[in-house]
Amino acid sequence: MLLTTSVGSLPKPEYLMKARSQARKGELSAKELRQLEERATREWIKTQEELGIDVIVDGEQYRGDMVAYFAEHLGGFQNSQLVRSYGNRYYRKPIIMGKITRPKPITIDWWKFSQRLTKHPVKGMLTGPYTIMDWSFNEYYPSRRAATLAIAQVVREEARDLEKAGAQYIQVDEPAISTRPEEMDLAIEALGIVTKGLKAKTITHICYGNFTAIGPKLHKLPVDQIDLEFANRDFELLDFFKGKRFSKEVGLGVVDVHNHRIESRDEVVSNLKRALKVFKPEQVYVDPDCGLKTRTVEEAVDKLRVVVDAARAVREQLVN
Amino acid sequence: MITTLVGNYPKVAEDTYSTKLIGSISKWQRQEMTDAQLEDILREITRAVIQEQEQAGLDLLTDGQIRWEDLVTPMAKRIEGFEINGLSRWFDNNVYYRRPVLHKKPVRKGPILVDEYRFAAGCTKKPVKAVLPGPTTFATVSEDRHFKSERRLILALAEIINAEALALAEAGAPLIQFDEPALGFGKPNMALAVEALGIATKGVKSKTAVYTYFGSLNGALSPLMKAKVDVVGIDIVSEPKTLGALKRTKITKELAVGCLDGRNTKLESVGELHALFNVLKKLVPADRLYINPNCGLEFLPHPQAHAKVRRLAEAARTYRGR
Ligand SMILES: [Zn+2]
Repeated sequence: MLLTTSVGSLPKPEYLMKARSQARKGELSAKELRQLEERATREWIKTQEELGIDVIVDGEQYRGDMVAYFAEHLGGFQNSQLVRSYGNRYYRKPIIMGKITRPKPITIDWWKFSQRLTKHPVKGMLTGPYTIMDWSFNEYYPSRRAATLAIAQVVREEARDLEKAGAQYIQVDEPAISTRPEEMDLAIEALGIVTKGLKAKTITHICYGNFTAIGPKLHKLPVDQIDLEFANRDFELLDFFKGKRFSKEVGLGVVDVHNHRIESRDEVVSNLKRALKVFKPEQVYVDPDCGLKTRTVEEAVDKLRVVVDAARAVREQLVN
Repeated sequence: MITTLVGNYPKVAEDTYSTKLIGSISKWQRQEMTDAQLEDILREITRAVIQEQEQAGLDLLTDGQIRWEDLVTPMAKRIEGFEINGLSRWFDNNVYYRRPVLHKKPVRKGPILVDEYRFAAGCTKKPVKAVLPGPTTFATVSEDRHFKSERRLILALAEIINAEALALAEAGAPLIQFDEPALGFGKPNMALAVEALGIATKGVKSKTAVYTYFGSLNGALSPLMKAKVDVVGIDIVSEPKTLGALKRTKITKELAVGCLDGRNTKLESVGELHALFNVLKKLVPADRLYINPNCGLEFLPHPQAHAKVRRLAEAARTYRGR
């Protein structure tokens, strides 16, 4: 009970950031970059083992944006010129220009690479069809729905390949799901296509939520576990679950990823205990609110350490 | 039929006016570039954006809001009482803005957008409109720690917006537009929104417009026809049912209809736009009709935004010439 994990992305060390920018400029070969990505992945897996995290992630050292990464490896997508996301931040948003295909498996080699390095289970990490659709332009499919369902087919193939390779946990992230509550049914339908028939434990992570709007349908998401950010909302989300007998597992975000401050063990312990008044211990996985990639390596390690220490402390108290 | 844009336009263009604004703002933030140097670049890009609209043949231009971080920050950062806070999602988009937090009574200490308006208007012989956030939207995307009353917040912001609108009208803006995307979400208090628009437009001699976009307008259409504005802007792309609702509404204002999708790169054909114009002409006479994209074009990469501007002008030109 109270197994610890993390949501997906972990910060890239300085040398990898530098290498990525060199590779973009053509000053570093793909092979050299790959070696550094492998080194960073090895380091993160070792760190997570040392911290005592139960379910490990590869840290996505070889991915940039969570949608762009898949768009780059799928057929049918093109990259756009720059668009602004906020302030002075710009990115290249994928454009669906043709039929979406998966010419070959995308994440399987990386998953195998990571799993060979550890005895802990490594999560397979995918981006969900609704989020890939919502974060792309669409010039090919006649509707948002048609695009989402087409993407669901290729994400399903990838999920099946992860399971075949041996993944016990498959997480399909849908951070965009809360943007348009009126499309929640579409997101549910598409996620259902991805997870149908999988024996691995399935998880979805949702963030930036408008929970009053999507909350009532959370239990319909076709996954075993729903991972949510609790910390950056002061655990107000617990009120939503109170008295509901939520039947799925819950990934409980207990440290804020948007804040430099490292939470104390005591505060996380006390918040975990609040959560255990609403959820059963067997139902709860403990993790940070979201991917830690925007923190420094040191901050990320410190935050993960607090997650593990607090979960352990509460576990011990429950046993005694 | 008057062609126009809703407001914002890509700040960078790999294919034409460069991406140098990105590096310039970073340098300016690190104090490696002076205010005056950054101002030169902002003006250069604004001029280029105005030229693109002019060359395409649009009738009523905007400055592209090149210096705007989002719809509310330019105003909020120069109104006493506001502090600019963390990132929040901009309605139903994967785009973020900084949430203004009101700590004390809001006070406008002087003209905010007038200088930039004057500059833009001086770049072209064509008319340039001015754009302001509408009071309800400004209040909705802000956090109120002062009034703790939706009504008092909206009305106080409406007064400030009105002062700015009067100054812009005096600076020569032929049309002043109030953006109210918030009216497309949830159940907005339409009576209050209309009352606030009345305050925002009070005494303004220029033409006034309220623009709604995103979401769906549900019950907002009829109340908007009672607002003290000359033009009502409607997005019929985001929610296709809105066109049907518009047909059932008694239209007493000039209409500005968002016909091109400002959030998707797919380019509308001249044929489908003409078909739409045929429908719209039955709702209002052509001389009471504005045609524009459904929202600002900054959601698009520059080449596609530029293509939409040209397509909009082309569709109107060929339609008039039939
Ligand atoms: Zn997240």
